[in-house]
Amino acid sequence: MAHTKLYTAIFAVLFVSATVQVLVEFAGLAYWTAFGIIIVLSAFKAVLVAAYFQHLRFEPRSLTYVVVIGLAAALALTLAASYSIL
Amino acid sequence: MSEDDSTTDGAPADEAVADGTTPDETAADGGTADSSTVVREGIPADEYAAEPTAEASHTSRSSVRHWLTTTNHKDVGILYVVTSLFFLLLGGLLAWLMRIQMWEPRAVGEGVLGAVAYNQAVSAHGLVMVFWFLSPFAFGFANYVVPLQLGADDLAFPRLNALSFWLYLASGILFVASFFQGGTFAGGWTMYAPLNLPTFTPDVGANTAILALVLFVASVTVSSVNFLTTMHRMRAEGLTLRRLPIFSWSILLTVWMMLFAFAALLAALLILSSDRVLGTAYFVQETAGGTLLWTHLFWFFGHPEVYIVFFPALGIMAEVFQTFTGRRIVGRKWFVAAMVLVALQSFVVWMHHMFLTGINLQIKTLFMVTTIGISLPFDLMVFALIYTLVKGRVRFTTPFLFCFGGLLLFILGGITGVFLGAIVLDYEFRGTYWVVAHFHYVMVGGVTALVGGLYYWYPKITGRMYDELLGKAHFAAYFVGFNLLYFPMFVAWETPRRVFQYDPGMAPWHKLSTIGAFVLGLSFVIMFYNLTKSAFDGERVGNTPWEFSRTAEWAIPSPPPAENFPGIPSYSDGHLSFRSREATDGGSTGATDGVAEATDGGVAVDAHAAGEHGGHAGQAGHDDHADHNSVWPLAVSVGAFLLFLGVSGIREGTLVDGVAGSFYAFSAAAGGVVVLGSLVAWAIEPFEAPEGGFGEAWPFDGVENGKLGMWIFLASDVVLFGGFIGAYVFTRVAAGWVGWQPVPEDPIPGLMNTYILLASSFTVVLALVAAEKQHRGGLIASLTATFVLGVGFLGNKALEWQHLFHTGVEPTANIQTSTFFLTTGLHAAHVIAGLIGTLYLIGRALGGAYLTDHRPVEYFGLYWHFVDIVWLFLFPLFYIL
Repeated sequence: MAHTKLYTAIFAVLFVSATVQVLVEFAGLAYWTAFGIIIVLSAFKAVLVAAYFQHLRFEPRSLTYVVVIGLAAALALTLAASYSIL
Repeated sequence: MSEDDSTTDGAPADEAVADGTTPDETAADGGTADSSTVVREGIPADEYAAEPTAEASHTSRSSVRHWLTTTNHKDVGILYVVTSLFFLLLGGLLAWLMRIQMWEPRAVGEGVLGAVAYNQAVSAHGLVMVFWFLSPFAFGFANYVVPLQLGADDLAFPRLNALSFWLYLASGILFVASFFQGGTFAGGWTMYAPLNLPTFTPDVGANTAILALVLFVASVTVSSVNFLTTMHRMRAEGLTLRRLPIFSWSILLTVWMMLFAFAALLAALLILSSDRVLGTAYFVQETAGGTLLWTHLFWFFGHPEVYIVFFPALGIMAEVFQTFTGRRIVGRKWFVAAMVLVALQSFVVWMHHMFLTGINLQIKTLFMVTTIGISLPFDLMVFALIYTLVKGRVRFTTPFLFCFGGLLLFILGGITGVFLGAIVLDYEFRGTYWVVAHFHYVMVGGVTALVGGLYYWYPKITGRMYDELLGKAHFAAYFVGFNLLYFPMFVAWETPRRVFQYDPGMAPWHKLSTIGAFVLGLSFVIMFYNLTKSAFDGERVGNTPWEFSRTAEWAIPSPPPAENFPGIPSYSDGHLSFRSREATDGGSTGATDGVAEATDGGVAVDAHAAGEHGGHAGQAGHDDHADHNSVWPLAVSVGAFLLFLGVSGIREGTLVDGVAGSFYAFSAAAGGVVVLGSLVAWAIEPFEAPEGGFGEAWPFDGVENGKLGMWIFLASDVVLFGGFIGAYVFTRVAAGWVGWQPVPEDPIPGLMNTYILLASSFTVVLALVAAEKQHRGGLIASLTATFVLGVGFLGNKALEWQHLFHTGVEPTANIQTSTFFLTTGLHAAHVIAGLIGTLYLIGRALGGAYLTDHRPVEYFGLYWHFVDIVWLFLFPLFYIL
C-alpha cells in the first residue's frame, strides 16, 4: 500500500506534537496561553488519528457524525455543568 | 409511496380502505398488512399456505434447552416480555407495601414497614419499575416486532441480542439478591449523594443494587448497538426512513437516546461503585461540588430516560390508533419530526431537576426555557393523535381502549409537569406528592399504552385471540384503579415525598389512593388469567385478526415462522411484496457486498463459518436451526452475575470479614474465569449472523454491520469517558482550576506512555496494511509488536503508580488523586481489554486467519485507536495542565 508512507509521516507528526506539548509546559508561558496551545495540539492529534488511522476521512461522513454527536453530548454535559457552578 | 397528507386526508376512513382495496392508502406507511394485497412473485401460493402455523419453528420450542440458547429475535422478545412482567409483580408488591403503610399517618415503628424498610421499598420500587420493568417490557415488543416491520430475518447480531436479555435477567436477579444481603439500597431511586455512600447506606446489599444497575447498563449498551445497526442497515428494499412504520420510528429514536444517555449513567454508576468499593472521594461531602456532581451525571441520563421510557408507548399509541381508526395518523411527517426534536431536546433539559440546588440563576433560567420548549413538540403529537381519532372511525377494542386511556392519562401527566418546569412553582412543589402524582401519570400512563401493545400483538405472538370481554373488563378495572390511586395524590399534594408521615387531614385521600392501588394491581389478575387461558384455547387467528392493519407483521402468519417471511420482502413498488429467495440467491448476493463472513460484533469475531447466505438467504439454510443457537450469551451472563456478586462484598477497599468474605472472593474469581472463557468460546463458535445492506441502509450505505456496530459502540464510549473527564473538569472548577496541581509531579513518565501508545497505534495500522497485502509474517509481527507495546504501557503505568503509592499518594486521599487514578484506571482497563483482543487476533493469525478477510483486524484497530485518542487528552489533563 502506498499509504504506508503517509501513515509513517502521521506517526512522526503525532510523536513530535506530543513532545511539543511538554516543551510548552516547560517554556514558562502564561498558564492559559499554555493551556490553549496544549489543548489545541491534543485536538489536532486526535483528528489526525481519527481521520487517517481510523480512516474516517475515507468513510461515509455519517460515521463521523455519529462520533461527533457523542462528543457534543459529552461537551454539553461538561461545559453546562461547570458553568452552573461559576 | 406518497407521503403527502392530501392523498389520505381526502379519503374516507371506511371499510374499503381497511380491505386494502385502495392500495395507495396502505402503502403510505411503508407496510401493507392484508395478505390479500401482498404480492408474492415466484412463490406458489400453496407453498406459502402450507405453513400457516410454522410447525418447523415450533418443534424445539417446548424444550428448556431451546429457550436457554435461542438467539431468534421473536424468542428473545417473548423472554423479555415475560421476564419484565415478573418485575412488574415485584415492583407492584413493593408499591402495595408502601400504600398499606400510608393507609393512615403513622409514627416510626407503627405499621407493616419500619423506617429503613420503607426507604428500601421506595427506592427498590422506583428502580425496579423504571429499569427492570418499563424499558424491558417495551423492548420485548421492539425485539419481536421491529425486525418484522423492517423486513429483516433477525437483528444484526443475534447472539448479542441474547446476551442483552441474559445480562438483563442476571442484573435483575442480582438486584433481588441485594434484599438478602442486609437490605437493598435505601437512598431513593435517584441515588443522591452523599446518601449513596457507605457512610449512609452501609449494607452489602446497597453495593449489590448499584452493581446490578451497572450490569443492567451493560445489557442496554449491547442492545442499543444491536438495534441501531439493525434499524439502519437491515431495512427491506424500498423501506426508506420516511416509510418506516411509526412504532419502529419510536424505537429507533429511543435507542439513539439510550446509546448516549445510558453511557452517562454508566459513568455515574462506575464512579459511584468506585466510591463505594474502592473508597475514592468523588461524592463525599468534603469534596467541593461532590454531591452536585452526582445530580448532574444522574439527570443528564435521567431526563432522556423519561422519553426513553415513554417513546415506545407513544409509538404503540400511534400504531394502535391507526389500526383501530382505519386511517393513517394525521400529519405523520410532523409527528415523526416532533419525535426527532424531542429526542434532541431531551439532552438539554436535565437541570430542571436541580432547581433547588446551588446552581446559578442564569443556568436555571436557560433550562426553564428549554423545558417549556420541549412541551411544544409533545403538544403537536398529542393533537395529531386526537385528530386521528376525530378523522377516523374508531373501533373500541381492548388495545385501543388501553392506548386511548394512556393518551388521556399522559395529557394530565404532561400538563401537571409543565408546572414543575417553572422555577418558582418548583420551589413550592418539589419534594411533594405533586411530583409523585405527575410522574406516575406520565410513566404509568405510558405503561397503559404498553399494556395496550401487549393485547395488540398478543394474537401475533401466540397465534390465538384473547378474550375481548375480559380484556375490556381489565381496562375498566385498570382505569378506575389508576385514577383512584394517583388522582388523590394531586389533591393531597402537600404530603411530603418518600416518607410515610403526613398531615392527618389528608388521610381520606390516602385511603382512597391505597384502595386504588389494590384495584389497579388486582386488575392484572384478569389480564394474566385471560392471556394464560387464551394461549391454550383462544380462537386461532390467521395473518391478522384486525380489520385494518397496515404494518408488515400482520402480513405473515401468526406466529410468524422462524425465518419470518416467505420470500425477500421489498417495498420497491410501494407495497410489501415478497420476491422468491431461490430466484435471487445467486444473483442478488452481489448487492450485499458479496461478503459472506459473519461478524457478530463486540468481540472481534471472524466467524470461520463463512455464511453461505446473507440477510435473506435460501430457505434451505433456515431448516438447520441448531446453527442459530448459542449457549455463550447465557454463560457470559452467569459469569458476570458471579463476578458482580463477588465485588459487592468489598467495601472501601476491604473485603467483608469471615466466611462471607471468602465466598465473595471465590464468587468474583469464578465469575471472572467464566466470563473470559465464555467470551473466547463465543469468538471461536461458528455462527451465521445476517448481513445488512440488502435494502435501505441510509445513512450508512456501504458501512458493513460489524464496522457500524463498532463505531456506534465507540460513540457511547466517547460519552462514558466524557462523563469521567466531565466529572474531573467539574470538580476541578469547583475546587478552583488553577490551584489544582497534577498528581504526578513529573510529566515524563506520562510522555513516555504517550510515545508507547502512539507507536502501538502505528503498529496496528501496519498490521492492517500487512493483512491487506496478505503478508502473514508482517501481520503477526505487527500484532505482536502492538501487544508488547501495550504491555509496556501498563508496565510503565504500574511503576508510576507504585512510586506514587510509596510516596503516600493514594486514590482515596482526596478528589485530586481520586480523579487521577480512576480516570487513568478506566483507560488502563480499556488497554487491558484491547490486549486480550490482541492475543486472540495473534492466535488466529498464527492459524492463517485474516489474510482473505481482514475486517476483524480493522475493527480491532478502530477500538485501539480510540483508546489512543482518549489518552491524547488524558495525558495533558492529568500530567501537564
